[in-house]
Amino acid sequence: MSEAMGRSAARVQDTAPLSRSGPEPASLADILERVLDKGIIIAGDIRVNLLDIELLTIKLRLLVVSVDKAEEMGIDWWRHDPMLTVGERGMEEENRQLRARVAELEGRGDEQEEARDDR
Amino acid sequence: MTADDQSRARYLYAVCRGLERSAIEDVTALDGQPLDAVCHQDLVAVVSTVPLEEFGEEALRRNLEDLAWLEETVRVHDEVIRAVSNRAPTAPMRLATICFDDAAVRARLREWYVDLTHVLDRIEGCAEWSVKVVAEAAEPGPEDPTSAEVLNGADYLRRKKVEAERRAARDSSVAEAASRIHDALVLLAKASRILPAQDPRLSGHRGTMVLNAAYLVPDEEQEAFAALVARLCTGDDRVVVDSRGPWPPYSFAMLEPR
Repeated sequence: MSEAMGRSAARVQDTAPLSRSGPEPASLADILERVLDKGIIIAGDIRVNLLDIELLTIKLRLLVVSVDKAEEMGIDWWRHDPMLTVGERGMEEENRQLRARVAELEGRGDEQEEARDDR
Repeated sequence: MTADDQSRARYLYAVCRGLERSAIEDVTALDGQPLDAVCHQDLVAVVSTVPLEEFGEEALRRNLEDLAWLEETVRVHDEVIRAVSNRAPTAPMRLATICFDDAAVRARLREWYVDLTHVLDRIEGCAEWSVKVVAEAAEPGPEDPTSAEVLNGADYLRRKKVEAERRAARDSSVAEAASRIHDALVLLAKASRILPAQDPRLSGHRGTMVLNAAYLVPDEEQEAFAALVARLCTGDDRVVVDSRGPWPPYSFAMLEPR
């Protein structure tokens, strides 16, 4: 990743003139990080459980890593983590466990974000 | 679109202010549909028609688990928002915000008018940059840890102490570098948000992410910001700076708690 970062650093100087919308994001990982969990939340008529989307983010980041990077990096710990693989218990049980984990992680993350948010 | 058709609904991408209809004419939305505008006073909701068999409650639950479906939806969501954000102040909505018909969309604009106006005031004339600062993993010191076996206890502890001090000095110098970068960027930004550091196992970066921040940068500062980031990227070999942008102000589109 540090190589990729170096390239992106070099690219900054080439990007002129700048439009407000920017170039199309290159990878799925980039666009998911940009879009998921972001934007104004106003309840529509279709109830989407926002927590489901948060869960999705975690699952997808794992999946994106597994597709893009994990194998070349030799990372496969998630394959053996029963919380992160869909077993015979099915999606419902998996979601219940992930929900608990998200609640736990969010408890920590929120504090950090509030404390350091400088707006 | 009216409530008569119960097999379709309106997908809400963004709320803009003063968006001209010509800005949405050539943009293809989800399901190959055209974009439409639903107006309330100076606010314009950018919407398109989606089938409920794909975007209804049950279907969404299923589709959100489908990576290919999600990728396509997220990409179109982002394309639409990027297209309109170039033409008018734009507040992106959360993915999959869906109302049954235009009347329901307009009711949301009416109900949230003041709050949406505040958001648009904040982000008008600005774009977002993401900047991540990663400290490279520490180089192993000249002493190999295995050589500790031949040391006596006192030497071993002394060496441990020296290593701990060196590590602490390095950590604080890296934190200093990150805060120097953040302090410099904040001067050109209208607002900033510090986001939680990404987990390296998930994002794949090596080393420690010491800063993950989003900056809301006014249009007139875009080039100065890009130049500053580029300079900061090369100015410090303790850290690697990954910057991306500009893009629509996703991280700054949020309603204040009522």
